[in-house]
Amino acid sequence: MKKQLLVYGAGAIGRGYVPWVFPPDEFDLTYVEENDSLREKLNKQKQFTSYCTKNGAYQKLVVPISNCIKPGDELSSINNYMGIVTAVGPRQVLSLKDNFQKADCPIVLFENDSSLSVQLNHLTGKSNIYFGVPDVITSNTAPKELLDQDELSIVTEDGVCFIEEGAKSLGGINDYVSKEELHKQWMAKLYIHNTPHCIAAYLGALQGKQYLHEGMSNPAIYALVEGAMNEMRDMVVKKYNLDQEFVDWYAKKELGRFANVILYDPIIRVAREPFRKLALDNRLIGAAQLALSMGIVPEFLIKGILAAFLYNKENDADFNITTLMNALSPDNFLKLIINLSTHDALYKCIMTRWDNTLDELKGLQNDN
Amino acid sequence: MTTKLSRLEIAIKAAVDAGNLLVSHYGKISKLKQKESLRDVVTDIDKLSESAILTVLNKNDPDFGVLTEESGFVGPETEDFWVVDALDGTVNYIHQVPLFSVSVAFFQGGKPVIGAVYNPLAKDLYYSELGKGSFKNQIQLKIEDTPITENLMSMAFSGKLYKPEERHKEFELFGKLNDNSQGCLRTGSAAMNLAYVSDGHFGAAVGKASKLWDIAAGLVLAESAGAKVNYKLIDKERHLVDYIAATPQCFSDIINTVKPSYLELDI
Repeated sequence: MKKQLLVYGAGAIGRGYVPWVFPPDEFDLTYVEENDSLREKLNKQKQFTSYCTKNGAYQKLVVPISNCIKPGDELSSINNYMGIVTAVGPRQVLSLKDNFQKADCPIVLFENDSSLSVQLNHLTGKSNIYFGVPDVITSNTAPKELLDQDELSIVTEDGVCFIEEGAKSLGGINDYVSKEELHKQWMAKLYIHNTPHCIAAYLGALQGKQYLHEGMSNPAIYALVEGAMNEMRDMVVKKYNLDQEFVDWYAKKELGRFANVILYDPIIRVAREPFRKLALDNRLIGAAQLALSMGIVPEFLIKGILAAFLYNKENDADFNITTLMNALSPDNFLKLIINLSTHDALYKCIMTRWDNTLDELKGLQNDN
Repeated sequence: MTTKLSRLEIAIKAAVDAGNLLVSHYGKISKLKQKESLRDVVTDIDKLSESAILTVLNKNDPDFGVLTEESGFVGPETEDFWVVDALDGTVNYIHQVPLFSVSVAFFQGGKPVIGAVYNPLAKDLYYSELGKGSFKNQIQLKIEDTPITENLMSMAFSGKLYKPEERHKEFELFGKLNDNSQGCLRTGSAAMNLAYVSDGHFGAAVGKASKLWDIAAGLVLAESAGAKVNYKLIDKERHLVDYIAATPQCFSDIINTVKPSYLELDI
C-alpha cells in the first residue's frame, strides 16, 4: 500500500520537485492549493508531468494525484496522512500553525528559512516539524513544447534533498542528515545559492528578460553574479568554517544551474518580494553584513542590492519599492525602508557607491 | 536625468523632508505663539516645516493650490488641491512627547485620494493612494475586522472655541467610547490616530470639528487599509470635519452602542 503524503502548495517545489523525492510508485500525493484555477486543472487531469533536466536532456515523470483540495478542506482528515510537506513560501507557512497543531505525523518545511520549523514547533508545542533543504532549482513552468503536451508541465533540476534526520520515517529519496550537516548545506544554499540566484534575477529583470538563463547569457551579468558568488563563498568559509573544496564545488555547480538553458526558470519567480530578500537578516542585506563582518567588502553584492532596489514589477507584492525609490533620497531609503543605521558600515559602503552603481546598472539596462 | 514624480511620490517626499526638519529641531523650541486656545499653538518650526513641504509641492506639482494650516490657501485657486499639516501634534512636539507627524494629502473631486503621514521620530512612514492599499514603510497594511470590545479607540476634540456651550457632549462621547472599548485615547495627533487605525493599533479614530489638514491624509490611509470611513465637512469656512474611521465591526458597534449623535454624519 502506498504512503499518503499531504503537500501544501502545488507551485515550483511542491509540484515540480516533491514527486522526484517522494516518487509516485511509493507515495499517493494530495495537494492543498489556494489557486482556484490550478486546483481545478489538477483535479480535472488527476495527473501532471514533471521534467527533470539531466545531462542537458529531460527525464519525464507522470505524477498521478489523489486530490487537490482548497485550504481548510484537509483539516478533517489531517491525521490520515503519514507525512506532510510544505512549499508555500515563508510568508504563508506560519498561518498553517493551527493545522499543524492537529497533525501528529512528521511535517517537513521546504521554505527557505531555517527558523520557521523552530518557530512552529514552539508555537504548536510540538516537535514533529522539521526543516528540509531541497538543493535544487525548480521552475514553476516549462517551455512551450512541453506545455503543449500538458499545460501543467513543470521543469526541475536533478537535485539533492536534505532533511533533518528526525523525519526519517517519511522515507522517499531523501538524505536524512544530522543538524550539523543540514546546517552546512543550508549555509551553502542560503549564501552561495540564494544570494547570487536572486541577484541574477534582478540583473536579468533590468534587461527585461523572462528567464534566468537569458540574463546569464550576457557576459556582464554573468561576471557580476560570479563576483557576488565568490564574495559569498569567501564569507561562508571564514564565517562558518565550511570546507574550501566543498564551497568551490558548490559555487561552480550553482553558476552552471543559473545558466541552465533548458530549465526555464522565470525571473519573476526568483525576484519576487524584494523586501523580504532585503530584510536585515536575509540573503542580500544580511549576507552583505556578514561579508563585512568577515572583512570582505561586498562590492558585487552591493550592485546586486541596488539591482533589487530597482526591481519594478506592478504585480509583485512589493511593487511599492519603486514608489519609495523614486520618492526618497538614498539616505532616507536606506534608513527608513532598509532599516540601516547611518553608523552601519554597509550604509556607508552603499552610500559611497550609490551613484556609480546606478550608472553601471543603467548601462546594463541599455546593453540589451 | 530627473524622473517626474507621481503624486504619491511627491506626498511622500514632502512628508519626509519636513519630518527630517522637525527631528533636527526637536527639543530646541523655545518660542511659541498661542492661536485660538491654550492648546492651539504655533512655533517657528511649524512654519519652517510648512515651507519645506511647499518647496517640494511647488517644484513637482506647481499647477495646484495648497491648503495649509499656517498660511491658508496658497498657489493657484484650483478645484483639486493639496492639503498639508506641517506639524500635527505641535503641543506634543513642544513638550517632547514623541507622537507628532507631518500630514500631506491631495484632494481630487472633493475627496482626499492620496495621503502620506510621517512620524519622524518613530521613522514610521504611512502612505496610500485611495483603493491601492496602505503601507507603513515597506509593509502593506490590512486591518483585521474586530469588534469594539477588542480594541483601543481614539478621539480628537474640537478647538476650545468651537461651540463651548456644547463641549460636554464631546466628553460624553469620549466617555462612551472609553467605557465600551479597551479604552479611548486623546493622543494629540489626529493624523496619527488615523494612521494607527490603518496599522491596527486603534480600532477607531473619531473626531469632532477636526481641521481638514489634520485628517485628510489619514482618512485615505484608513480607508485603503480596509477601514470603514465616514466624514462630513461641517464648516466650510473653517475647514472643520466630523468623522469616524474604524474597522467595519467597530464602526457598527460605535453607531449601535455608543450612538454618536453629536457627530454630524450622514449614516
